[in-house]
Amino acid sequence: MAGAVTVTMNFTDTRPTNSISDSGLKVESLRFAYNGTPVLLDINLAVAEGEFVCLLGPSGCGKTTFLRLLAGLETLSSGYLSWKGRPITGPSLERSVVFQDYSLFPWMSLVNNITLALAKSHPETDKKWRLNLAEEFLEKVGLADAARKHPFELSGGMQQRGAIARTLALGSPVMLMDEPFGALDPVNRARLQDLVLDVWANATPRKTVVFVTHDIEESLFLADRVVMLGSSPGRVIQELRVPFARPRSRRTLAGSREFQTLREEIAERFRQDTLQRIEAESVVSGDAEGI
Amino acid sequence: MKALMAESKITPSGSFPLAARLRVETAVKPAVVRRDSWLRLRGREGVLFLLGIALLWQFVSSSIHFKGAYLFPSPAVTLKALWGSLPELLKGTVSSLLVLVPGYALAVAAGIVWGLLVGTIPWVGRMFSPFARLASPVPPTIYIPYAIALLPTFRTAAGFVVFVGAFWPVFLNTASGAASLPQRYRDNARILGLRGTEYLWRIVFPASLPHIFSGMSVGLVFSFIMLTVAELFGASAGLGRFVQLYADYADYPRMVAGILYTGLVVLLAMELLEKVKRRALFWMK
Repeated sequence: MAGAVTVTMNFTDTRPTNSISDSGLKVESLRFAYNGTPVLLDINLAVAEGEFVCLLGPSGCGKTTFLRLLAGLETLSSGYLSWKGRPITGPSLERSVVFQDYSLFPWMSLVNNITLALAKSHPETDKKWRLNLAEEFLEKVGLADAARKHPFELSGGMQQRGAIARTLALGSPVMLMDEPFGALDPVNRARLQDLVLDVWANATPRKTVVFVTHDIEESLFLADRVVMLGSSPGRVIQELRVPFARPRSRRTLAGSREFQTLREEIAERFRQDTLQRIEAESVVSGDAEGI
Repeated sequence: MKALMAESKITPSGSFPLAARLRVETAVKPAVVRRDSWLRLRGREGVLFLLGIALLWQFVSSSIHFKGAYLFPSPAVTLKALWGSLPELLKGTVSSLLVLVPGYALAVAAGIVWGLLVGTIPWVGRMFSPFARLASPVPPTIYIPYAIALLPTFRTAAGFVVFVGAFWPVFLNTASGAASLPQRYRDNARILGLRGTEYLWRIVFPASLPHIFSGMSVGLVFSFIMLTVAELFGASAGLGRFVQLYADYADYPRMVAGILYTGLVVLLAMELLEKVKRRALFWMK
């Protein structure tokens, strides 16, 4: 196993050496504490415009918090966060979020969920235009017939497609996705992964995507780059560029040795991190007993 | 079948346990179990209980050995009285509703608007909560004499106490609904940039609707209590007045008929509200 590392591992430090350019998403020495407990520690990350980045980590590593910070839904304790050189201080339609629980308003039909969003993102347009655009995007995600339906009438997969359609209709250059397919069955999951990739690849200009997941294979299938987060407190433990050419085929990927090795390496890296943490904790508690 | 085998092992004799045998029988021919007449009563307990009450009523009212029997007019006599005073009762209903509907409607409107503001805007909540904690537990019936003294007509006084009785439940429930708005709706609204009245009206209000409706049904019951009590005090018409009048005349058949009729009106009002609620909350699952 150790020998495989040199063959396929492509762990490169992709952090910016300096902040010359004012493009993309920038995260510099970000810290976030909740009630005095550090949740995220000294995070540095640069996401280029049009890049698809997966944040990969175990549950409780703060990846959702990190995404909420990028969205502007939480305030960071210290550090710097910017999009195109402008600091992120609050939520904005530039950075739309797709949440795990679909986050459609249940009292509105799908199409009304989208037109409500459009009324905010395109305030100068008239109702009819918004309706047409909403229907167009629903058709794009295969929900043309469900436009007038309410979320309770739809399956989880359909609701998530609706949420994606809303995000697309908004035309936000940045899409932040928080384990969007975590609650879906494998078939729907694969279908929506394809949908997101399709949307991402065909949009001009390409959308910048930050996609949170705890699924190694999902991250390898989707991302240009995988950022691995360790827990307690959350921090970047490794970044790697995914070497597979696009468009990727799920079947070819799963069969390739490179994919399998990479998957094992990532899992191994997380195991190491957990072990180190346990060791560190036992040292601390050992000290405490001494006192 | 496997489950049955497993279960049969539990009994020491090795014979089929009773439960398992019953299950087999129901599976093969359900009629066997349904033959049991006791099981036919399932789902009809409510009707039976009402029947029992009616029988007890009949028994008490027709018992000659019971001194106070005149206070318990028999069902037949009461129904006759009800039929006879129906025009008067209908007139009373109109008069009562003319007080109740405006008072209740105003309480619902004010309770919702103010509840949404108090539950959503922190400083408004901090400002109003101490007062609400002080004022809301006061039994609203206690205001009746004061309201009658303070307001020019009986109708405005009764309308006012109906308002007070219904306002607090609607307000308190709306405020707690608005304050417990799920984080995901709040996040979503923030990302979409929904603010101000639009945020209150399109997000907080619909999300709080389940709470609002429970406040409205408690408020409705309170409204009727306040209304009838106020009418006992000094109305010239209305349902409470009807009952009070015939109690004064010791016309107990009519009085009991008035009570039954009032109960029916409240029941219908509650059913109506329930219908509205089911329509408004169709999106809940």
